Amino acid sequence: MANDPSSPVKLNVEFRTIKGHKFTKDGTKQALLNLTQDQGGNYIFEFENFPDRNVCKDFVASAIALSGEAGRTVPEKSAVPIQDEQLSAAEMERRIKLLQEDSDLQKLHKQFVIGGILSEAEFWATRKKLLEQNYSRRPKQRVALKNDMWSTKPLADGQSNRVTFNLTPEIILQIFAEKPAVRQAYLNFVPNKMTEKEFWTKYSRAEYLHSTKNVIAAAAEAAEDEELAVFLKQDDMLVNEARKKIRQVDPTLDMEADEGDDYMHLPIQDHGLPRNDNKDVLDSQYEPYRRSFSQHLNQHAAVVLQGRVIDVELGDTRSVAEALARTKHAELAKDASDVYLDKERLERISRMTEIEDLQAPRDPAVAPLSIKDPRDYFDSQQANAFSTLGDTVSGAKQLKCSVSTREAYCSLKECISEIKFQGLTEPTINSEVAFKVLNGLAQNISSNKYHLGRNPNESILDSLPKITREELLLHWSSIQELLKHFWSSYPITTKYLLTKATKLKDAMSQIYPKLQEIKESVQSDLRHQVSLLVQPMLQALDAAFAHYDADVQNRSARSGERPNGF
Amino acid sequence: MKFQIEDVTVYFPYDNIYPEQYAYMVELKRALDAKGHCLLEMPTGTGKTIALLSLITSYALSKPSNPIKFIYCTRTVHEMEKTLSELKLLHNYQLQHLGPAAKILALGLSSRKNLCINPTVVSAENRDSVDAACRKLTASWVRELAAENPRIPTCSFFENYEKSASEAILPPGVYTLQDLRAYGKLKGWCPYFLARHMVQLANVVVYSYQYLLDPKVAGIISKEMQRESVVVFDEAHNIDNVCIEALSVSVRMQTLEGATRNINRMSQEIDRFKATDAGRLRAEYNRLVEGLALRGDLPASDAWLANPALPNDILKEAVPGNIRRAEHFLSVLRRLVQYIRGRLQTENVEKEGPVAFVASVNTQAGIDQKMLRFCYDRLHSLMLTLEISDTDEFLHIQTICDFATLVGTYTRGFSIIIEPFDERMPHIPDPVLQLCCHDASLAIKPVFERFQSVVITSGTLSPIDLYPRLLNFNPVVSRSFTMSLTRDCICPMVLTRGSDQLPVSTKYDLRSDPGVEKNYGKLLLEMVSVVPDGIVCFFVSYSYMDGIVNSWHETGLLKEIMQHKLVFIETQDVVETTLALDNYRKACDCGRGAVFFSVARGKVAEGIDFDRHYGRLVIMFGVPFQYTLSRILLARLEYLRDTFQIKEGDFLTFDALRQAAQCVGRVIRSKADYGMMIFADKRYSRHDKRSKLPGWILSHLRDAHLNLSTDMAAHIAREFLRKMAQPYDKTGVMGKKTLLSEADLEKMGNSNLGEMF
Repeated sequence: MANDPSSPVKLNVEFRTIKGHKFTKDGTKQALLNLTQDQGGNYIFEFENFPDRNVCKDFVASAIALSGEAGRTVPEKSAVPIQDEQLSAAEMERRIKLLQEDSDLQKLHKQFVIGGILSEAEFWATRKKLLEQNYSRRPKQRVALKNDMWSTKPLADGQSNRVTFNLTPEIILQIFAEKPAVRQAYLNFVPNKMTEKEFWTKYSRAEYLHSTKNVIAAAAEAAEDEELAVFLKQDDMLVNEARKKIRQVDPTLDMEADEGDDYMHLPIQDHGLPRNDNKDVLDSQYEPYRRSFSQHLNQHAAVVLQGRVIDVELGDTRSVAEALARTKHAELAKDASDVYLDKERLERISRMTEIEDLQAPRDPAVAPLSIKDPRDYFDSQQANAFSTLGDTVSGAKQLKCSVSTREAYCSLKECISEIKFQGLTEPTINSEVAFKVLNGLAQNISSNKYHLGRNPNESILDSLPKITREELLLHWSSIQELLKHFWSSYPITTKYLLTKATKLKDAMSQIYPKLQEIKESVQSDLRHQVSLLVQPMLQALDAAFAHYDADVQNRSARSGERPNGF
Repeated sequence: MKFQIEDVTVYFPYDNIYPEQYAYMVELKRALDAKGHCLLEMPTGTGKTIALLSLITSYALSKPSNPIKFIYCTRTVHEMEKTLSELKLLHNYQLQHLGPAAKILALGLSSRKNLCINPTVVSAENRDSVDAACRKLTASWVRELAAENPRIPTCSFFENYEKSASEAILPPGVYTLQDLRAYGKLKGWCPYFLARHMVQLANVVVYSYQYLLDPKVAGIISKEMQRESVVVFDEAHNIDNVCIEALSVSVRMQTLEGATRNINRMSQEIDRFKATDAGRLRAEYNRLVEGLALRGDLPASDAWLANPALPNDILKEAVPGNIRRAEHFLSVLRRLVQYIRGRLQTENVEKEGPVAFVASVNTQAGIDQKMLRFCYDRLHSLMLTLEISDTDEFLHIQTICDFATLVGTYTRGFSIIIEPFDERMPHIPDPVLQLCCHDASLAIKPVFERFQSVVITSGTLSPIDLYPRLLNFNPVVSRSFTMSLTRDCICPMVLTRGSDQLPVSTKYDLRSDPGVEKNYGKLLLEMVSVVPDGIVCFFVSYSYMDGIVNSWHETGLLKEIMQHKLVFIETQDVVETTLALDNYRKACDCGRGAVFFSVARGKVAEGIDFDRHYGRLVIMFGVPFQYTLSRILLARLEYLRDTFQIKEGDFLTFDALRQAAQCVGRVIRSKADYGMMIFADKRYSRHDKRSKLPGWILSHLRDAHLNLSTDMAAHIAREFLRKMAQPYDKTGVMGKKTLLSEADLEKMGNSNLGEMF
């Protein structure tokens, strides 16, 4: 259904009738969103940019899942009279969320639950763990900050007296996170008092002064320029923050409390450790300008440990600063007297005091492994497996690592032209190389796009045509799901399980020919690889069918003996 | 589990026990039976604290007719918290098995700074100002005034506590400082005074060393403890230093200026009182004539740090006549301050004994020894008479009187050292007069005399025969335990050279060599890429650490290290260090991994554990010798040589190695734990140095690991970590049991156990 952007007619479709949505990848030519209707119609929306599209996409996904759930409860009740759990709103929400986050899961859900092969409860019963995990407010996975201190070592060119500093949005974020005073100053000064550029120039000047370690010069400059002084002085906000944080520290670590028990007032404490750092030539007026490297080091590590606390596009400096200020504020306000934190801390201490091997172990304290896209992980494993599979392939692979088809071709051409031009000066070496290149190329051409793809993720799947690959993966996951349910319904003790097993078997036997079809449809040079992939699936299905048949025979034999059944 | 040791049923909160814990308890019990003192060295990582706690509480439970009190001294407040949480675990277990009969009262005690819950008071910056702020609200004269004039602020928590009088008691249980504060908030009572009161009634008291060793504090807090007490000094390897510090005073120019201000203020107060309330001064005078330096029973809120001299040495005489009158006393103080100021003008280092000093004070300022001795008590009395509550302002004059009393009381074991400037910075005048005590046995003597059993224990007390000499006591039991390991879970190594085969050391001539700095950095870099989770590095001093970290930063080594782990560093600011440690632990918990840079002899090395994943490797960069040019140290060495015939070199090595052992010993907590220790200095390979390490480290130090280079060490580390990752049988192999169950203990019977170890 074409929709003219200039058309005055407003499109109004109920979400109830929408059953799926597709979209183009970020960065492709057009930002499209395709909604599939129940009765087999499509709505295609074109957006001006991707962020807009993504917002819509998310909304649509949740709406579809929601309406899908709502629509499904009715037929489900009639199909499964045995156990129908009354779902709480929270439970429902969690399931919807899971479906949204994991497109594979959504596909399976659509295929089996909506397809009527599995009931809603059955589908989720095998995923209890997933639900629980999700419940414990699993944080969204984010890229951590780089553990790299912005080295204040300026780039100075020898001749002129110019010193250059490099600032990227990433570095700015780091500076803001590590130095709240700079962040505050930015919010105060820019753009009312100075421009962004002036601000960073001033900041760089201050950093330069620090890097020279000339405290007196720093103090002198600060006296003249009050904005510069903000950067040069010690960070009061950090000090205040530390005061607040120290109250939350584990009391078994709290060394500050020791000072409360110190009645000696002696300079010779620390048992003979020379204390030479306190006495310095400097007067107290320079004290605020002194900054130690270790302080910076600790602050940096603390920030990196905390990770990316904000979710803002990095380009816009102001919004970054504001977002950081907001999170910091919220954090400090929150933890003033958190009873929950207190309790957690006490539990931690009591756990820490136990001597582990004198006692039978408690639950192992393991963190759940959080892999965003399992395919990334398993594909790389598969690639490893394949590299050992064919020896003929591995030789070529070595060569291929750095050379793409086109490059190889070019270099070959170059070689040939060189030989043509110069004659064979060193024929042994050159021809050998040429042969190798030729060989590699020949093999490469024959196996088509076999080795294409980025190196680390190189796998057989990537070499397949996209449709075949998608199809294979879909079948693989659906077979997995079906088999899981199939085997879990044995031994069959009730009628319900029997019908379930039969239903599952039928579903599986539908997939079987499809797999064969895929195997035959692919090009001849890939057929071997594909059949290697498909073979285990077929075997698993065969085993299931065999079991089913044997069971049916058994059952009929028994029911022949005892016609009354159970 | 519970089991019998002779006639005592011991309740132990775990299902299993290490054989050395059992042996430790047996020895401890014998010492308690003999009512004598004992000295026990047991390796870290064998659950010393819980063994101690469970034996002594069980011992007390088994003798209900003659209950003993248990005083447990820790070096730091955070160790106090750790001990109390172990005690909680034990107490819960005993309650489960014995019922209400096992109920005890155990509490930690600290200063107002850590216990106060009045928000206006506790916000003050340091201990002295919190104490003073409290006094301003709770001193008896303030409360008297407040009774008449309701606008004078008082502390509601203290008032409530006073009102409840005898009802204000803690129910049985185990109270950490935080629990005390919570209980105080709940009831509206002041936790500090409540705890001070309950200390007399409690079965177990946990507090810091100073509450027993520093006569000023012990005089007000610990003076009523009964003789039937067991006193434990845990982690006592530094106890001689604490004893010495408790009796040392130092006076600087600022102290003298402050003291002069204090004297002026007091003389104004005296004038004011003369005009308004002359009777009060006269009453004080009369009291002094009767020979009472102090009124007998002060209300607790007025009590103030007691006399700095030891209780036995305080004269039970009347205050001498010439300082009884307030004005006269002030003029004596003025002359004393003037005299010390004169001494500080010197251009050379001066060192003399107390006798010579007192003689010179007498001739030049006309103050005799007896007057000096009474200075502290006389000042105390005067300040009470003058109703001064902002005591934190009067610290300076207190220091001067401390000094006067000590110097007037003791004739030997002390020396007075006057230095016009710091040795390392001769161009900056910074004169200081130090009264330093050299004899560690002085401060601890009253403890040995007063209490029937004193237990001194630590992971590093080697050589164990030195401590009785230093502290001058006769232990009935003195033993050093070895560790029975299921597997070789510690791996000490001595690294003598870098990968380039050049020696590494922190000796003075090599210390700032860039090659050594680079080799140390390379060592750490190798290790961060091999070792998982936490790594701790100890340096010999703050300045050395700052220097080397800066140079690593400049050469880019630090950046490479940070690619593998987060880096945290100890600073001299405790707040910052505490936060850094907290973050370090978080980083280890979440699997990010981190390195902690710390200083041997520093606060972290003193009492923070780096057990389990918090420390899989400790690197000790250099040998942590004391600053040998320090005059105080030289004077102490001289004293040790003359009185105990201990050679200077021996003592210095002993002292450095006990610190090093202490640092590396922090990695291991139980036998399931494992960790590596690298001593990175070529001097450790020498036999005379190495042999001073405690036995449990030496027994694991293989000959092949005595002279390693960086690459060899990295290889050994890889092998070791791989070995540790394998599963193993916790109960021990080949007939050697390293974990005993209740049944094992019964089977073995009591008779032959003592010989097993």
